Amino acid sequence: MRIFLKRLAGMLVVLVGVVLLLFIMLRIIPGSPVTTLLGERASQQVIDRMTEELGLNDPLFMQFLRYVGNALHGDFGTSYKLNRPVSALIMSAFPNTVRLSIFAALFAWGVGIIAGIISAICKNQQRFRLLSSLIDRLFMGGALVGVSMPVFMTCLFLQYFLAYRVQLFPLSGFDQPLSVVLPAIALGWNSAGTVARMTRSSLLEVMQADYISTARAKGRGSAGIILCHALKNSMLPVVTMMALQISSMLSGAVITETVFGINGIGRLAVTAIQSRDMPLLQGTVIFTTILVMLGNLAADTLYSVLDPRIRREG
Amino acid sequence: MKKNLCLLLVGALACSMLAACGGGTTSTSAPPASASSETTSPKTLRKPMVADISTMDVQHTSKDYEVPMNVFDRLFEIKVDDSGAASLVNNLCQEYTVSEDGLTYDFALVEGVTFSNGDPLTANDVKYTFERMLKDPLCVNTEAVDPILGADALLAGEADELEGIVITDDAHFSITLAAPDASFLYKLATPACSIYNAAVTEAAGDQFGIDPAVTIGTGPYVVDSWEVNTAITLSRNENYWGELPDVEKVIVSVIPDPSTQSMMFQNGELDLLDLDYLDSSVVNSTYKTQYADNLIYGNRLAITYMSMNQNIEPFNDVRVRKAVQMAIDRQALLDAVYSGDGNVEDGIFPRGLVGHNPDLEGTITYDPEGAKALLAEAGYADGFTMQFDADNSASSSVMLLYQIIQQQLAEVGITVKINSMDESSWLDLRSSGDMNSFIGTWTADYNDPDNFIYTFFGNEEKTTLRSLNYPDTEVMQRVADARAIVDTDERLAEYADLEYKIVIEDAAWVPLFSRQHLFAVGDNVESFIPFWAGYGDIIYRDVTLKS
Repeated sequence: MRIFLKRLAGMLVVLVGVVLLLFIMLRIIPGSPVTTLLGERASQQVIDRMTEELGLNDPLFMQFLRYVGNALHGDFGTSYKLNRPVSALIMSAFPNTVRLSIFAALFAWGVGIIAGIISAICKNQQRFRLLSSLIDRLFMGGALVGVSMPVFMTCLFLQYFLAYRVQLFPLSGFDQPLSVVLPAIALGWNSAGTVARMTRSSLLEVMQADYISTARAKGRGSAGIILCHALKNSMLPVVTMMALQISSMLSGAVITETVFGINGIGRLAVTAIQSRDMPLLQGTVIFTTILVMLGNLAADTLYSVLDPRIRREG
Repeated sequence: MKKNLCLLLVGALACSMLAACGGGTTSTSAPPASASSETTSPKTLRKPMVADISTMDVQHTSKDYEVPMNVFDRLFEIKVDDSGAASLVNNLCQEYTVSEDGLTYDFALVEGVTFSNGDPLTANDVKYTFERMLKDPLCVNTEAVDPILGADALLAGEADELEGIVITDDAHFSITLAAPDASFLYKLATPACSIYNAAVTEAAGDQFGIDPAVTIGTGPYVVDSWEVNTAITLSRNENYWGELPDVEKVIVSVIPDPSTQSMMFQNGELDLLDLDYLDSSVVNSTYKTQYADNLIYGNRLAITYMSMNQNIEPFNDVRVRKAVQMAIDRQALLDAVYSGDGNVEDGIFPRGLVGHNPDLEGTITYDPEGAKALLAEAGYADGFTMQFDADNSASSSVMLLYQIIQQQLAEVGITVKINSMDESSWLDLRSSGDMNSFIGTWTADYNDPDNFIYTFFGNEEKTTLRSLNYPDTEVMQRVADARAIVDTDERLAEYADLEYKIVIEDAAWVPLFSRQHLFAVGDNVESFIPFWAGYGDIIYRDVTLKS
């Protein structure tokens, strides 16, 4: 409990730091949000009037205090670009991001763990050595492609073959049941590769342990040893990575959401950056910071659940 | 304990999935305009847009015109006739007269016009609309109503009413200008002058332009729903006072990635595609070959130009500026980047714009040797180094223009550095007057030369805002005075003189070219007339669909 509270306090400090840094950075970089907002046709008089209206002429510390004061009351301001309360925009986009992330995670973890296990089994297989080795290499080659391929390329690849050529899935949007399939695969592709490689290496490492030799001495086969004895103990680093992956998926689906036209948190962030929309950018960054921190906290918690030694040490 | 925790986690995951799948969105919707359009399969136009609009309140935006142009009407409209010429026609204005001194306009509104909620249009709505443009601090477009008497006082908050507008009765009103402005009626046809319902707009407050239910106009369409960053759906206004348009329903989907748009069009999921956003190589290899019969070429009343800042050496020397004009092969640029879809321009007023002077054609020639000689005469025989400031949010085609001009100028000894920056920084640097040189495009707001020449050379502030820093105050005064010339022929002759002086004699900028605007239409589209000025915004009543 003490450790949990300590972590929460640490998270609060990080959050305040992020808010302060972001607030200052957005205001010291060259270029005014008002000129972007009004476009090239606005007169100087109109620009001056809008700058005053948005409170951007006030001293920086006053702007910051006003922002923090309002934020503590749940008011993160109104988006310059989309003319709606930032909190409402985030809350409307978040369900889409959650849906996308969950399906992406299910794909990544399902495919990654199964591929890792099969690969580890094949690596340790004494019979049919050639075939086993081939399967192992095939899966790890696929995982390498998964890890190496940029998300943008995966998106276009899937779109071109499965939505444009074969027309199995919608090309864009998020309003049909099948809409989630391609974006989820695109978003989960990298993670699947990472999980597969980590599951395999972790399993192979555990396979060197004495209790595995004992099980083998008792006559159990490779598959049985891996599934019944090694898998659980090898999942510790994999689960940690999975918890981090879900928080990064929730906050980092920028490219996937843009290519597939999904109104999610990543799209909002892109909109905010392109239009120098300071309230919206601050809102999305703060929100994703909280998500990442919660993801880390979940990873730590899961770690201690899976490994009682950590709980005792903590 | 462990099992309980696992169950808890699984439960939480399932709950969040359910919540996510059924999650709401920031969507606002109005009741359908007509039940009949719901019962039968309506004629539907499906089109994309790369980014969501900010607002439907056209007074609060200088970019997002498409929805307001279809939901609201204006006193006048620009129509393109069969020959392709664009001219001013009455719309909500039944008739008007102008006083001899060009100061006072008496207007009569068309009788029987109602807003989509049934409210009748009155002169008070017109007055309210124009006053709001000046009073509301969030209004970004004031240029069209600036000439009206008392506009300055209202804008400065020193008055409550617009002195120059007098209402006679519900259907008649007069507008008095502070000074004659020959382009005033054209300005009233701009999107910013869309007429609002005074009572509904006032009651809606900040939800006007955001909530479709209260964003009421007299136009041919009403907005059914607007789902942020996803789609806007419109349906035909069955109470429309004019001829009902052919398209009954419009779905405008936000699809940020142009290649996704292209694939959707080719799969038949979109009916209309703006090819501006696609790479020109894709347009050439795919659309001009496989979809040649589906292409619509629209005029674009816009000029692409290169600026030269006369406050920065050596652009303060007219010989250097002329040398730059001669060193750029504009036809080669147009061919390389836009497949020759356009025309090289030699002035300020592009083809199609009132005041375009065909006699100027060919006055600026590509002559690298002549350019070298001029540079040598100016003391730059070994060339010099200059900088392009590029907005990195511009299309890849514009970035290609920078690179090709860089190569062309290198051939006469001018070394060009390309300094790329984000849009906000770029706009700020340019309006400071300190930008070195850039490539820009100006598209007509209204079909009058004033909209071009005054924007760049109207006064000291205007020329500084564009980082041109044109120094001839006498010429700029003539540009400002030309607005008040009531006789059209006399006025156009003055603009022709000014254009020659600025571009040919003073070489104050490098006119590059005007382009055509290409659209691809689906097989179910019967006809489509692009917007007269060449914007990407579509007027839905200018589209007809096959049955």
